[in-house]
Amino acid sequence: MQKRVVFRSKLLPYMLVLPQIAITVAFFFWPSYQALESSFFIEDAFGFSREWVWLENYYELFRDPGYLKSFRTTLIFGFSVAFLAMAISLLLAVAANRAIKAATSYRTLLIWPYAVAPALAGVIWYFLMNPSLGIVAYWLKGIGVEWNHYVNGDQALLLVVVAAAWKQVSYNFLFFLAGLQSIPKSLIEAAAIDRAGPIRRFWSITFPLLTPTTFFLLVVNLVYAFFDTFALIHATTEGGPADATSILVFRVYNTGFIGQDYGSSAAQSVILMGMVILMTFIQFRYVERKVQY
Amino acid sequence: MATLNIKSLGKIYPGGVTAVSDVNVDIADGEFIVLVGPSGCGKSTILRMIAGLESITSGDLQIGERRVNDLEPGERDIAMVFQNYALYPHMSVRGNMEYGLKNEGLPKDQIAERIAEAARTLRLEEYLDRKPAQLSGGQRQRVAMGRAIVRDPKVFLFDEPLSNLDAKLRTQLRAELKALHQRLGATFIYVTHDQVEAMSLADRIIIMNAGRVEQIGTPMDLYLRPASRFVADFIGSPAMNVVEGTVTEDRRGLLVDGSRDIRFADEIPATAGARIAMGIRPEHLSPDASGAAQFHLVVDFVEQLGADTVVHGKVSGTTVPLAVRLSGVQQHGSGEILELGCAADQLHLFDLSTGQRLN
Amino acid sequence: MVENRPILTFLTHAILIVGVVFLCFPVWMALVASTHGPGALSQSPIPLWFGDQAWENYSQLLAGGLPEAGGVPIGMMMFNSAIMALVITFGKIVISILSAYAIVYFRFPFRMGFFWMIFVTLMLPVEVRILPTFDVVVKMGLLNTYAGLTVPLIASATATFLFRQFFLTIPDELVEAARIDRAGPIRFFKDILLPLSRTNIAALFIILFIYGWNQYLWPLLITTDESLYTVVMGIQRMVNSGEALPVWHYIMGTAVLAMIPPVLVVVLMQKLFVKGLVESEK
Repeated sequence: MQKRVVFRSKLLPYMLVLPQIAITVAFFFWPSYQALESSFFIEDAFGFSREWVWLENYYELFRDPGYLKSFRTTLIFGFSVAFLAMAISLLLAVAANRAIKAATSYRTLLIWPYAVAPALAGVIWYFLMNPSLGIVAYWLKGIGVEWNHYVNGDQALLLVVVAAAWKQVSYNFLFFLAGLQSIPKSLIEAAAIDRAGPIRRFWSITFPLLTPTTFFLLVVNLVYAFFDTFALIHATTEGGPADATSILVFRVYNTGFIGQDYGSSAAQSVILMGMVILMTFIQFRYVERKVQY
Repeated sequence: MATLNIKSLGKIYPGGVTAVSDVNVDIADGEFIVLVGPSGCGKSTILRMIAGLESITSGDLQIGERRVNDLEPGERDIAMVFQNYALYPHMSVRGNMEYGLKNEGLPKDQIAERIAEAARTLRLEEYLDRKPAQLSGGQRQRVAMGRAIVRDPKVFLFDEPLSNLDAKLRTQLRAELKALHQRLGATFIYVTHDQVEAMSLADRIIIMNAGRVEQIGTPMDLYLRPASRFVADFIGSPAMNVVEGTVTEDRRGLLVDGSRDIRFADEIPATAGARIAMGIRPEHLSPDASGAAQFHLVVDFVEQLGADTVVHGKVSGTTVPLAVRLSGVQQHGSGEILELGCAADQLHLFDLSTGQRLN
Repeated sequence: MVENRPILTFLTHAILIVGVVFLCFPVWMALVASTHGPGALSQSPIPLWFGDQAWENYSQLLAGGLPEAGGVPIGMMMFNSAIMALVITFGKIVISILSAYAIVYFRFPFRMGFFWMIFVTLMLPVEVRILPTFDVVVKMGLLNTYAGLTVPLIASATATFLFRQFFLTIPDELVEAARIDRAGPIRFFKDILLPLSRTNIAALFIILFIYGWNQYLWPLLITTDESLYTVVMGIQRMVNSGEALPVWHYIMGTAVLAMIPPVLVVVLMQKLFVKGLVESEK
């Protein structure tokens, strides 16, 4: 969309967009192109020689059980975080929506975790679940659950899922609350007159009307889980034990910086890029927002 | 029997605001009751208390011999039509109408039957599978009514259902509502701020002001014998002429702005020296020096409406404006003096401070 | 609405309180742990209430840092974090508002091209282009500099979109009136558009500050010189410090310190924050 009335300067607009475009080109497009290009080569460790291998790096990845496991882990991780974070926040939002008077106080108490960095969230939960010292691990032992995420891969995954979901509850809560508050009260009243009890009202009226919000949050949560949680994993389990928590984005870092295999890392990056593009595309298409002109 | 008995109904919001106080009315089976009044008078609050959407602070509400104060809205056997329709946007028209019946556990064939019947009555057959967003305002309002009809409730509640529609549609739907009431024979309780709607639809009107009942009566009751100045002002178009003044010593005249032009044939039921308001409808004044009240009008200007003529002017010797409606085309020049009078039952006297009727 | 079921009200508050506890408990424990000495935290169960080592722990952290993790003073790391966060925040706001202004209020060749270029960056989070971006930064000699820490993160599609959306809602008449008043594009921007954008800028400030402060991967890669470490990324070294056992009371103390600025910003500017968040994602 364009304003009907515009200014007629010739040079000024270019100067105004220049900073952003320059940075975008230098730090987004150029590196992305590089990543794409690198993914078609195998480089030696010193970067002296490169050999064109077309899609060899990609084939390798899909033949690599480690990579496939990472893919699986990422999907499990992503959907678990999304589901857990959304379910908890929806429950809280519904409750907060009912407690109209105290809603703002509860909101203050519930939204501040948004400000906590994923790395910090991870570290704190890492501490809480420490097999020997963690207070939550202690309680679990009290009810008969042996907890040691240093050894047990599934438990390590559970740990990072909980930490990641913990952080995301606030964000989801805000959006669910806004969504709930936008449903006209008269609809709920009509349903009450139509003899629907509170549970029935929620599932047949409220929840269907929340679908746009739910879908939007699902995509956001998945993107968060797939990408923004690098910090969380790196600061705690470092992908372990035995790659149990090595999600795709972590693997890119590991392969490239630690393993020094630039070609493979680049290929992984490109695959991830493909995933983001797909998800962003879905998000924009469905939520059909700003892209109108 | 779909009767309603309302005794001493009151509503005080937490925080101390009194929305409704001491409402008493017995509504007969099949009556069309209209609650009318200006914004904030409490009419919607009363409706919502009947529906169960607001809690009742004091008093008793009985629907059909059953005390319903503590019952859920869904248990009171009522149906409601909202101002903004409140149709479920994600369900089709059929879905909207089915919802309540499904919740009641009615068998499928009965549901289908009732929907078919209601759709016929309201001419909605073509739209049954459409979603609300695909319908016009008038169609949506009919769906809202359809949703209420299929429930076959004891009482139908209407919360300003026509306010969101344009004038022409409003008149059309008003007639349909009246016909619907006659056809169904059900008890209707209807809230509006429009006195024309009230007058044309109601069997009886409850007129509210600041949480209190001003008067309950048939439209004609309210028109011919308004119980207070408020009612007199509210009902009737063009509005009633109201002249404020002091009762003369002989109690047969009204002192206004120093002028003693207004004379009454008999002594009026007010004490000498009291401040009162005199009300006479423009259509009840005639150029006749006889009658219960007589006075002179100094003409300012004249509105020719074709079928009627409205003469605007001032009570002789005062700055008080007055209007009189005469039939046919009449000519009167500015400055002309008309002698006017009215019949005894068309004269309304109100105490100035309390607003209550004196005669 | 009337719901004659007191059990529901009870349930509502119960759920909310459990939720609050779930969200606050971890941070509570972090706070508690940071006030104890090494002894109290060396066996299970660890105390649930504060200890008396708060002053010692925090002063050690701020001034000297954790010896096992290289002894980088937390105070210095927080300073770096602050610089990074503020530069990124202001940088993003300035750049995006200028771009949005250009795209909305001017007609020029490639206008839509630029718009799409900015849009596409939404699909390229840094984690997806780590290596090559790192290479570019190294080639530019920006390793271990504040510039390297901040500039690559300054281009923001979200902020640009937010401003663009906002500008589109401003009535055209304002521009026409300004032109009649002989105001050119720059003056219009400075005197009319900018003041109107105040709330949006404030709301964005909060979100961007948090984004900037909480950066992890980028500082991790770009800084090898300890004096440039930021606190959110620096904590990692304390947790995974090789063979030595994690020194939890210091780690928790660091976590608490690292959390304070962004949490404070959110809590103090809560209303703006909520508005900005919900509006920017619409």
